[in-house]
Amino acid sequence: MSKIVNGGAIGKSFPIDDAALKATGELSYVDDIKMPGMLHAKVLFSPVAHAKIKSIDTSAVKALPGVRAIVSYQNTPRVYYNSSGETIDVFKTECVFDDTVRFIGDKVAAVAADTAEIAARAIRLIRVEYEPLPVNIDPENGIKEDAYVIHTNGGLASGNLMETVSQSCGDTDRALRVSEFVFEDTFTVPAIHHGAIEPHASIAVFDATGKLTVITSSQDSFAVRINLSRIFSLPMSKVRVSVPAIGGAFGGKVDMITEPIAAALAMQCGKPVKLVYTRKEDMTSTRTRHAMKISLKMGFDAEGNILAEDMKVFCNAGAYASGTSNIVWAMCGKFFKVHKCKNLRFTGYPVITNTQPGGPMRGFGSPQVFFAQQRLMQKAANALGIEILEIQRKNLTLPDGIDYRFDLPHGNARVLDCLEKAAELIEYRTCLKEQKESKDKRFRIGVGIGVGAHGNGMYGIRTDITAMILKMNDDGSTVLFSGSHEMGNAAITLQKQMISQVLGIPMEKISAVAGDTETTPYQLGDYSSRGAFVSGKAAMMVALAMKEKLIGFAARYLNCELEKIVFKDGLFIAHELEKTNNTDAATIEDIVQYARHKEFTELICEVTQAPDAAVISYGAHIVKVSVDTETGHTVVLDYAAVHDVGKALNPLGVKGQIEGAIQMGLGYALSEEIQTDKNGKVLNPTLKKYHMLRANEMPKKIKIALIEKGEPSGPFGAKSIGECSVMPVAAAVSNAISNAVGCDFCDLPITSKKIQDAIKNI
Amino acid sequence: MERYSLCVNEREYEFLANANETLLFVLRERLDLTGAKCGCLTGDCGACTVLIDGEAKKACLIQIRNAVGHKITTIEGLSENGTLHPIQKAFIYCGAIQCGFCTPGMILSAKALLDKNLSPTESEIRDAISGNLCRCTGYERIVEAILLSSKMLRGEDCDV
Repeated sequence: MSKIVNGGAIGKSFPIDDAALKATGELSYVDDIKMPGMLHAKVLFSPVAHAKIKSIDTSAVKALPGVRAIVSYQNTPRVYYNSSGETIDVFKTECVFDDTVRFIGDKVAAVAADTAEIAARAIRLIRVEYEPLPVNIDPENGIKEDAYVIHTNGGLASGNLMETVSQSCGDTDRALRVSEFVFEDTFTVPAIHHGAIEPHASIAVFDATGKLTVITSSQDSFAVRINLSRIFSLPMSKVRVSVPAIGGAFGGKVDMITEPIAAALAMQCGKPVKLVYTRKEDMTSTRTRHAMKISLKMGFDAEGNILAEDMKVFCNAGAYASGTSNIVWAMCGKFFKVHKCKNLRFTGYPVITNTQPGGPMRGFGSPQVFFAQQRLMQKAANALGIEILEIQRKNLTLPDGIDYRFDLPHGNARVLDCLEKAAELIEYRTCLKEQKESKDKRFRIGVGIGVGAHGNGMYGIRTDITAMILKMNDDGSTVLFSGSHEMGNAAITLQKQMISQVLGIPMEKISAVAGDTETTPYQLGDYSSRGAFVSGKAAMMVALAMKEKLIGFAARYLNCELEKIVFKDGLFIAHELEKTNNTDAATIEDIVQYARHKEFTELICEVTQAPDAAVISYGAHIVKVSVDTETGHTVVLDYAAVHDVGKALNPLGVKGQIEGAIQMGLGYALSEEIQTDKNGKVLNPTLKKYHMLRANEMPKKIKIALIEKGEPSGPFGAKSIGECSVMPVAAAVSNAISNAVGCDFCDLPITSKKIQDAIKNI
Repeated sequence: MERYSLCVNEREYEFLANANETLLFVLRERLDLTGAKCGCLTGDCGACTVLIDGEAKKACLIQIRNAVGHKITTIEGLSENGTLHPIQKAFIYCGAIQCGFCTPGMILSAKALLDKNLSPTESEIRDAISGNLCRCTGYERIVEAILLSSKMLRGEDCDV
């Protein structure tokens, strides 16, 4: 393989490449697209938590002028699928429509009509008779022997327990027995909303050739194609999934939600059908971050070294499998990645209940792990009388650290560097002093540390590949064909940077076709922090393949031996001593023209990239808060976030990911929670009642630093940031509040009310 | 259906609409101006923000009859003859745009502020965009972009 040339695009900041389209409103998201004859759909959602449908009467709907299609379990395929896609999880528990509803908000039927207003009127005319079934929203009750079994399909291990996720290394029981100090606690975390500003939306077209095209806001188009193909018994040549733009995803658009409903309606009436969820529907009938109850026990010696950690998790899967089981496996994985400790045990119980399903969300189960772990470490530090920073230093894994389950290295783990840098940025000693001095005041200062880790792709778990095609244009510009979906994280921009770097082609001379199952090659899906490490590397590899090819043609064009060609600054230069064809240098354009007109060859390359390592990204956040002991109100005063990214390929993009993650993590820590009643009915399904942080509620100062010490298997040394950046937030904030007030908060979100109550009980 | 006429981006539109339609629905469905987005339809997310006589308003909360007779500006009306407005340029330059769904509303809230106050403080900027939710950026780059665009609009030398 040729040496990578320095084209200057890597390590330079670029705004997302479609920014001008977004700044002018020119970019068409799914809901902005209109088609001739397009109908509008509306779904009837279940008002009951668990019931068998005795009857559905749609006669009044059929009589309503403008109604074109009505679908329910009676006229749609009863094919069970997993909404997260077949490659992400094995349990198939869901149909487009079933004869049983399993949560308040489950889909019952849908109508397509000439206008959205008629469709809305139509679904109110559907009469459904329900035969109630037992309702359970508590995972621990769900695995009791007498619990009603919610799914008989889907291959679940036993009753409502999807499977037991259990892994360990060392001898945790023994290590806990011999530990001088053992600390334990139970932590609860709520279901939260992804909060993408664009709700779920899709348009389905079923044309006269029998082809189904679904235009959707999905981050996993190939998985949607697999599912649609199976459900509707269509060959994949008759299913196309196309993603024009995504208005935020965060894992919430991994699962197939609106797509099969729009497809079923379009197939019934032969017209394009648009289905766009309202915010309320998005908050009650899609997916959430999983609510969990986590019990953790940690053994220490007197010096603060961790001797054992034992974590047990009850995960509320909700009514359908989605990616839940995989998410619990992923959280299990993270548990083994941050500490030097050799005695670790994780046991997870994902349990089906009658609530809105949990699904993939930025971090994939791991913010939950680090909240519990980092909170208990702070509690231990207080009890041992050792400063938490010291405890962290003693226990964090080092660059030669390994995962003791498999004796596999973590990669170049620089978590300790992150911690030290964060402490320096926020002036940790000064913060501690302020914390101490404010002890008797109304406004208490608290400082908290959070550490977290995340993976880079699905190596060793699933067939993790990204394929790409690169095609040269006549003038030396180029087109990339990429199965990546631009979610706003500048994934396509990064792929262009790779090509620019390797081939010396300026960014504006690289265009991309992306997010379309028919015009781009396969990739696994945009989840699991694959963007830089897997797909970014695929772009690098396809550019390197093109470079090799170009050099081959250049050698013949310049009449020079292959080995003597030097590629520099976009020019192929023959070695000075070589005989040449009147010229000693050629541009890429010259070579493309030569290949086409003299050798009748179009320059196209394709590669398939599969990672060969499971490397880990790390981060440490330290936060300073002020808590008003009278009102319980928390203000984040200062925030330091440092991440081990290997190499910042696009520093502006990396910063943007971290800042966005801090907004999401602060909400998780302080205010966000999908509240439900005893039947799982969502009580706060509006953005007024569900509190995501606004611009004037964010920290006054956010300080970011990046540790760039290179990851050997990453493209140009890079590893992931998008998901890792959300891991430490709630851990750091909850520690800061606990330290400020002098109470141990173990239940997210830590609202003003909880703080007031805790202060009263001191 | 009734006949309405509406002045949007300095152009008069004539169209038929039902009286209960919102300005957002009319812009998107009747006038094909899809720059204003539907994020919630309850006035909480700000993705549908437009300017009405220079004030930032949520188009999903305004009945069409109440918009008649007022001067409406949407994101489509911000650039002139293909030249981006300084706020748009600054948003791009600063990396204030990720998924872009909140961007049109965010830019119009910024314009409403800067049209009145060319030298806002950071805290005035944060208050001015507090009706606009963004889930991608944490608002940091957006605030930076609005500060930069205020400099550009004041005629200061900026490297954009």
